[in-house]
Amino acid sequence: MTLLVARAVTKRFGGLVAVKDVDLTVGEGEVVGLIGPNGAGKTTFFNCLTGLEAPTSGAVSYRGNPLPTRTDLVTRAGVARTFQNIRLFPNMTALENVLVGRHCRTKAGVLAAVGRGPRYHREERESEQRARELLAFVGLRGAGDELAKSLPYGDQRRLEIARALATDPGLLLLDEPTAGMNPNETAATADLVRRVKDLGVSVLLIEHDMRFVFSLCERIAVLVQGEKLVEGTPEQVQGDERVIAAYLGQPAEGESA
Amino acid sequence: MSNLLTKVARQLGAGGAALVLVACFLPWATYSGFPGKMRAVTPGGARLYVMILALFGVLFLLSAPGRARALRGTSACTLTIAVLTAVFISYAGGGAGGLGIGAILAVVGGLAYLAAAWSLPADDRPAPIRVLPDRSWRTTVETLLVVAAAAAALIAFVIGLGIPTATIASGEDHLLLGAISFNDLTNESQFLSFLIFLGGASLALSRLGLVASLGALTKKHAKVMVAASLMAAVVFPFTQGGDGYSLRIAASIGVFAAAAIGLNIVVGLAGLLDLGYIAFFGVGAYFAALVSGSINSVVPVHLPFALTIVLAALVSGLFGVLLGAPTLRLRGDYLAIVTLGFGEIFRITVNNLDGSAGPSLTNGPNGISNIPDLTLPGGFSFGDNHVLFGINLPFQANYYWLEVVLVAVVMTAFLRLAESRIGRAWVAIREDEVAAAATGINTTRLKLLAFGLGAVLAGAAGSVNAHVVKIAAPDSFTFLESALLLAAVILGGMGTVHGALLGATVLYLLPEKLRFMQDLRLLVFGLVLVLIMRLRPEGLLPSKRRAREFHEPGGGGDALSAPPGRASA
Amino acid sequence: MDLFFQQLVNGLVLGATYGLIALGYTMVYGIVQLINFAHGEIFMLGGFGALTTYLTLPAGTPAAVALPMMLMGAMVVSVTMAVLLERFAYRPLRGAPRLAPLITALGMSIALQELVRNFYPEAKSARNFPQLIDPDKRFSLGGSVTISAPSLVTIVIAVVGMVTLTLFVRRSRTGRAMQATAQDPDTARLMGIDTDRIIVTAFVLGAALAAVAGVMHGLRFGQVDFRMGFLIGIKAFTAAVLGGIGNISGAVLGGFTLGLVEVMATQYAPEPFAGGAWKDAWAFVVLIIVLVFRPSGILGERVAARA
Repeated sequence: MTLLVARAVTKRFGGLVAVKDVDLTVGEGEVVGLIGPNGAGKTTFFNCLTGLEAPTSGAVSYRGNPLPTRTDLVTRAGVARTFQNIRLFPNMTALENVLVGRHCRTKAGVLAAVGRGPRYHREERESEQRARELLAFVGLRGAGDELAKSLPYGDQRRLEIARALATDPGLLLLDEPTAGMNPNETAATADLVRRVKDLGVSVLLIEHDMRFVFSLCERIAVLVQGEKLVEGTPEQVQGDERVIAAYLGQPAEGESA
Repeated sequence: MSNLLTKVARQLGAGGAALVLVACFLPWATYSGFPGKMRAVTPGGARLYVMILALFGVLFLLSAPGRARALRGTSACTLTIAVLTAVFISYAGGGAGGLGIGAILAVVGGLAYLAAAWSLPADDRPAPIRVLPDRSWRTTVETLLVVAAAAAALIAFVIGLGIPTATIASGEDHLLLGAISFNDLTNESQFLSFLIFLGGASLALSRLGLVASLGALTKKHAKVMVAASLMAAVVFPFTQGGDGYSLRIAASIGVFAAAAIGLNIVVGLAGLLDLGYIAFFGVGAYFAALVSGSINSVVPVHLPFALTIVLAALVSGLFGVLLGAPTLRLRGDYLAIVTLGFGEIFRITVNNLDGSAGPSLTNGPNGISNIPDLTLPGGFSFGDNHVLFGINLPFQANYYWLEVVLVAVVMTAFLRLAESRIGRAWVAIREDEVAAAATGINTTRLKLLAFGLGAVLAGAAGSVNAHVVKIAAPDSFTFLESALLLAAVILGGMGTVHGALLGATVLYLLPEKLRFMQDLRLLVFGLVLVLIMRLRPEGLLPSKRRAREFHEPGGGGDALSAPPGRASA
Repeated sequence: MDLFFQQLVNGLVLGATYGLIALGYTMVYGIVQLINFAHGEIFMLGGFGALTTYLTLPAGTPAAVALPMMLMGAMVVSVTMAVLLERFAYRPLRGAPRLAPLITALGMSIALQELVRNFYPEAKSARNFPQLIDPDKRFSLGGSVTISAPSLVTIVIAVVGMVTLTLFVRRSRTGRAMQATAQDPDTARLMGIDTDRIIVTAFVLGAALAAVAGVMHGLRFGQVDFRMGFLIGIKAFTAAVLGGIGNISGAVLGGFTLGLVEVMATQYAPEPFAGGAWKDAWAFVVLIIVLVFRPSGILGERVAARA
């Protein structure tokens, strides 16, 4: 069953066309990669999917319904994302960051918060339990009380993923999850993505690390100057001459970031 | 070599402090009438405070190493109080001839004390949090300490407000503080001395680690703390000996504090800058005035008070939502100006609805006065004095207790909201609104919630206040009042209840007690705002989170730090 | 019909004052994103500065000499205050969360009002200002529409001031540097522009114009009052936003527009909301409408995109 269908998505900024007529689908249980040289429009495409930008034209639907254009509604619908330059809540602890992720799936309002009845306490307990599970899942067990801004870089990236997972998404959009990582951390991230897939969450990721992308993704789309050049399996994409040309002589094996 | 110098300095300082101690038993004034029995042998008033601070100096300069910072604070306060009192004594006595030998010696000794303390190297180790040994009597002792702290706060409050004449034996020379007489310079110097003493003592205690230890204790026995504080607040009227003046002040502080806590939800928790908050207070006040059955009200209805306060809160909340819905997506400084505009529109409107410039509703600039006393079903009127446990209680006590209830309700609401799903969402919005939205938070709705809640609480406070002051008039709802409330929140510390309480108390009490500064009151207020932002922008008692936000590079922490353009992406 | 044109003229005169002050707000906001709450008090101080100058001149000084000297005196006071504000109140807070400079500006606004009220001789109520331009002398503009001499001078000076400033910003080196700093302060610095000095320049220029407005205000109304800055300041800020914050032509346009709206609303608004008692409220209504429906203003805003 196809989760995400993006059709002819175009984004214009004045005279500049950042994204032109891009089609992309993501099916259930898939890990899809989106690659391309810097400035190709990948993050802009993500923003169009998640409501941070409004597409100039085109349609995006999720599970058959058109995706709302407001960011929080997109997340509520089941599409969560991380950011290229990590956007955590710096002065909140790791646990609190993940708890914020549970906000859209919980209900306690003002009256419940002030009244503190049994339902409120139960919901808080469940949220905290789930948050701790997610922290453990991404490998941050025990770091719950650390301030997000004092976590090491790699842990911050994992925390952002944990927060995104807390919103119970069906599709997770990862924007350059291994930027700035060494080979060990990259391998750990790949492992994490695989475990996310095992949970039943589909993943669409932007990346520059070719080894990472080719080992992880079943399907890869290549974006160059806003247009989708090629889409196919890792082998197909690796061997495509246009892709090689677009990267201007970079070896097909690619370099680590 | 420096060791020798340090030793000399310490001994010099100890000598100075000892001199001050002796001076406290000598007369400071050559005439009678200055509060604190300045001519008697037993120290009272300013001499008492100075004595305590100097005692601290003698003890620590001679014995414990380090503690330089604590000593600096206490010595500075000692000298300040001594000089201040000496100046006031001279001024009130018609010249330096009124000054007693004790005052002069105290100043000299104080100088030595201060000089020594400042020359010591600041080698204080961080203050340890002290814990009682783990014995069977630990919990009992801890509980008693918490209760004692609450009692001490009550005593300080009573002294600060001024012990009424009736409670003390007759005569002008009062031991602790003078009678409550307005425009009396001498009493004002006492008040100032007391404040400085409190400041110095707190500083010293905090450097000794006792404040942090106490803080840990109160957290550990939170329920005891709450009960003790409530008891202290309730007991306060019984200390007044039948005099209603201080009760009136305390009730007004209560209203101010309730409004400040409400504003703290909007500014401190959600990070929205509201410069027109007083308008919501005013809506509540006018609503209550209109339905109070006053002869000046055009509405011929007299609603029971319980209903009034609920309706006033709801009406105010409605205004808040109507105002907030179109404007909360604006970036921080624009929101500030818009709310300022609304505040002014409110004031101008109620000022003009007097039948000539507009339809007659609010009786124009004169406002709606003659608001009758509240009555409870069963005939009890808030305007009655009564006697409880053999002690006379003036009618102001009734309104005071009503305020205590109001403040307790508002505080509970604030605390519970801050530590909840909603509170977390507010913090997230403050930290990074875009990320908060991406995490599934409906930022507009949550901002509106904070704004509306603030309005509801302000409306409730306003309706109560209308009955306390018995009038609702446009002059009470100026921009300056909004600025004062904001200052209370900022000065006290954003994001905490005790912060707002402290801010409200300071801002209300200081101009009230320091009448000689009446004209300069607003000037000082403006300068205080500037100084706080420069020196301690997170306020006196901020939440840890807020303190972090203000001192980390890159700012952050407000919707105000968002880039230009609509705040929501 | 003549009434309409008379009100039109009145609106333009009012708008001239708003425009002069709005220029100060808009320049400062464009560069440092700060609402300089104390700018209204800079205007007020200009008026008092002129008064002081006048009082120190020997009696009998001809108006042709006194007036320029008063303008100088006003500008000296206003500019000095503005520079002090920038240097000691605002500059230390440049990295802080925006709440801090806003509150500081508020505090300084209150402090300045109170300083004048308490320490300027007899300033607790309004002080008389010499009306060196005869307010009873009126010029006819056709029909029964007239304009008083001081008002005419106000418009002329305001237009001259605005044109001069616009030329300065567009043509001069410093002006270009100001535009660059407004758009992207970091890059401007990389290009060798001393952004600190540019910021001071913005404050100085704004203060000078506000001082002129203060003198004109005194000439027209015959008095200066320590409170006169607060309300006019907010309205001038409204004008700046109305035209497009950061945009110099916008401030001018916004000023005149607001002046017209205020006067017209007072005259033609539906009963019972017409009349002088409601005039300030209308200005605030305009503010709210602009900010809610078109916060970028009529001509669009020119503010730096902060990271």
